[in-house]
This record gives sequence, structure tokens and C-alpha cells, in this order.
Amino acid sequence: MGNDKLISFENVSFSYSDESSEEIRYALKDINLAIHRGEFIAVLGHNGSGKSTLAKLSNSIYAPSSGKVFVEGMDTSDPENEFPIRKKVGVVFQNPDNQIVASIVEEDVAFGPENLGIPPAEIRQRVDEALRAVDMYGYRLHETHRLSGGQKQRVAIAGMLAMQPECLVLDEPTAMLDPMGRKEVMSIVRSLNRERGMTVVYITHYMEEAALADRVVIIDNSRIAADASPKQIFADQALLSRCGLAVPEITQIAYLLNKMGFSVPPDILTEEEMIQAIQTVSRSG
Amino acid sequence: MIRDITIGQYFPGNSYLHKLDPRAKIVITFIYIVALFLCKNFFSLLLLLTVSVAAVLISRISFRVILKGMKMILLIILFTAVLQVFYNDKGTVLWQPFPRWDFVITDSGVFSAIFLSVRIVALILFSSLLTYTTSPTMLTDAIERLLSPLKHLHVNVHALSMMMTIALRFIPTLIEELNIIISAQKARGADLDSGSLTKRAKALIPIFVPLFVSAFRRAYELAFAMECRCYNGDNGRTRMKVMKLCLRDYLGLLASIALTAAVIVTSYLDLGSLFLFESVI
Repeated sequence: MGNDKLISFENVSFSYSDESSEEIRYALKDINLAIHRGEFIAVLGHNGSGKSTLAKLSNSIYAPSSGKVFVEGMDTSDPENEFPIRKKVGVVFQNPDNQIVASIVEEDVAFGPENLGIPPAEIRQRVDEALRAVDMYGYRLHETHRLSGGQKQRVAIAGMLAMQPECLVLDEPTAMLDPMGRKEVMSIVRSLNRERGMTVVYITHYMEEAALADRVVIIDNSRIAADASPKQIFADQALLSRCGLAVPEITQIAYLLNKMGFSVPPDILTEEEMIQAIQTVSRSG
Repeated sequence: MIRDITIGQYFPGNSYLHKLDPRAKIVITFIYIVALFLCKNFFSLLLLLTVSVAAVLISRISFRVILKGMKMILLIILFTAVLQVFYNDKGTVLWQPFPRWDFVITDSGVFSAIFLSVRIVALILFSSLLTYTTSPTMLTDAIERLLSPLKHLHVNVHALSMMMTIALRFIPTLIEELNIIISAQKARGADLDSGSLTKRAKALIPIFVPLFVSAFRRAYELAFAMECRCYNGDNGRTRMKVMKLCLRDYLGLLASIALTAAVIVTSYLDLGSLFLFESVI
């Protein structure tokens, strides 16, 4: 990881004027954030906290009202940089239906590389590779509207991967999916980060998903409220309740067990950790 | 009912028809339709129907799928055929159901009804194969290329074909949404199936307003998603699937021209009383 900054937000604010009251509202205020190569960052926040604006600022869809966003040193508010930046930072949105352009899986995945003007043989190669990476190769000739939500979202991710970006920004990619689809998408994203070293910014309001990241950033009321490792974040119950967020169930159970006097660490994040902790307790007790 | 419509659907496959260049397929379909309207007797019509059926067999798409897609249209054909029978009073009278009225069924009426129905069935069989064997993107790409001479007249051909691609992509999504909205409004007590015509038309307003609102929201989000994928019109855009006319495409085109020639010969040249039911129309 090191100090290799891929995306940096410097004193970024983003405002929009509310038509009904004519006052200026801030979606984001004074954001300072650096995203390093290879990192897996989860951005947490309840609805309306401004976290989705962060995604659109990261690839030059929006330009900040004040402050600067840089992607590999390129200023996102310069229209000249628009396409080079979008090639580096791929954004996947919440609703998979509204991101898929073509009716057939492989043709949709090819849409991005086609826009980049890549030669046909290489597009084919990239499409196949991207579909394998999200485990959808067997579906390459299927119709997109017949897929399940999780499969559609994996196709949307493949569409981004085929453009070979440096970083994947996912804006609540599992919010509209059933638990199965959520698991599928989450495990694909995790393997992209672990096995391929893809930098991931994962915007979500599910604690369980944020627990899998290297680093968690909490956005509350348009500002960054915390930026630390998941263990540190979830141990701070006061912070979480102040930001309107609930602790993952498993951490809650661990916290209560710890309070009751069992020697279970209070910052457990996954079921596997819990099983291990309980096994050690029962062995020693 | 809406779910049965298979127009625009694509069945991936590896048959001769699937492999044909989509541009050649569009042109062949056009030539076939022209031949269908040039044909004047049962012999040439039978020839064209045989070609249609053969094309379905070559495509290896099951007849059941195709018939399912034609169900609605078959009803309409049946209706037109019945009208056709009654509107024709030329020829020998076969049956006069109401002796008091000038209302007869003649042999010429029956023949023309059969002729018309077979003609439409052949038309639909053949033209639906175009979309069944070609993916929507390839189809719109082919249309873009066929229309590319219009670029000189400053027509934005690429935008047109992109619109078609997106329209085809969103038809199933919007149909699904329509069904959800109908259920939601019914759950709120909307009465869609009774009352006068104006009342029923008014009941559709709470169906279509949310549908349109949602379509606009989808369009807005899709635009963002397309921008994220570096969409910039056809500036410097390449394609994954390259279209190249090869021998099989020329053979297909040649065959369709030969078919048209055969239809013209049998329909317009007087070949004596070789064929039954000549010039029934």
C-alpha cells in the first residue's frame, strides 16, 4: 500500500441549491480523504449523509463546489481530464437495471471498451476475462433482463473491469439485492481486492459489509466523522449511535458476552472469529 | 398476455441464420417481403411459405416458441380472414346463410381469405426470424451501417441506433414495471376492468404517470452510468464484433433474389393453366 495515493479529496465541499427554500445545502463539507492503491475502503453513512455524492465526485461526473479532487494527480474539475479519469476510476451504481445498456451480457460488458476505441480482438479478450473475474462467463450469451439482481450487478462490475480501471467505486451495489445477491456481489468484490489487488471504495449502509474492509470511513451530516480500521470503529459504540448506525449483530453479541464476564473480545466482526472465540472459551472453561 | 410478446427477443444459437451477417439478413428480409407482395397465385405463395418454414428449420428454433410469439397475431389474422370472406361477393356462391339478405360466401372470397392469411403468416414467420437469430445490438449496429449514407445528409445515424438499442433493452424492464404498478394500484383499490370506456381510460392515468416518472428516472441514471463508461457518441468508438460480408452472405442474398425472380415468373407470366387458382385476388 504505502503512500501511493490514487484518489485524494482536498477540502472538498459539494453544495446544491434547494429549489423550495433557495438556501444552499451541502451534500459534502470539508472532506479530506486519501485513497491508496490496493486499499479496500468502506464508506458508511445513513441515508442522505452525502456518501453517494462522493462516488460521483471521484470520477469527474460532478466537480466539487470548492476544494479539489485528484485522481493520480489529475484534477477532476478540468474537463480535459474527464475521460482519462473515468478510465482509471470505474463507478458501479445501486440499481443494476439502470446501468446495463445492451440486451446481451457480453455485449453490455463490451460497451465500455468499445467507447475507449480498443481493437476488436482485444475487446473480446477483455470481455471474457472480466466475465471470468465476476464468475459470469457461462452467462455471456444470456439476456441481461433475465438475470437475478446479484447477477446483473456482477455484469455491471464486469462492464467496469473490462475498461481495466485502477479503482472500483461501488455506490451501495447491494442495496437493491436479496441476501443471496448481496453475498455474491460482496464475495466478488472482496476477491477482486485480495486476488487482483484492485483498489475498492465500497459505499454502503450495511455494517456486515463494511466489516470486511481494511479501513472504514464514516460520513455523517456531510462530514467525515471517523476514519479508522473496522475493529476500532465498531468498538466505539458511542460514535456509531451518534451517526445513526447500528453495530453488526455479531459484534453486539460479542460486546454483551464480554460485559457478562466471558473472555470474548468485544470487537469481533465475523462469524468465524466468533466461533473461534467461543471454542477457546469452552476449552479453557 | 403482454409476456407472450416475443418480438425483439433473441435466441442465441450457432445456425447458418445466426452466422449470417446482420446487414445481409435485413436486406434478405426486405427482398422476401417484396416477393411476398408481388406474389399473385397459390403456387408462388406456397413456394414462399415453404421457404419460410425451411428458414425456421435452418434456424433450429422450435416451432413451439415461434407459434407462442404469434398467438396474438394469429387471432388478428383469423379476424381479418373472416371479414375478407364476407366482403368478397365475386365468383360462385357457396353458401347464402340468410336468404333475405345480399350476404353470401363465395369461392373467391374463401380463396382470398386463405391467401391473405397464409401471406401474413409467411411474412411474420420470416421476419420474426430476423430478431430471433440476431442480437439486438448487432441488429441496431447493422441498421446503423446500412443507414450510414444518410450521415452525408447530417442525420445522426449513431444516435438513432443507440436509441433503438436502449429501447429494445428496456422493453422487458418497463413491461415488468408496468405489471408491478398495475398490481400496486389494484392493491390500493383501483378499478381497471369495469365501467364505461372513458372511465376505464381515466383509470389508466394512475398507471401511466408513475410509469413515465420511473422511465425518466431510469433514463437519468442510465445517462450517468453511460458517462461513467466513457460514452462519447461514436467518436473513436470501436466494436467487439466486426461485420464482414463473406460467401454465405452473398449466397443468401443471391438465393433471395432468385426466389423473387421465381415469384415474378410464376405470378406475371402466363404459364397457361399449369397452376390452379390462378389470379384469385
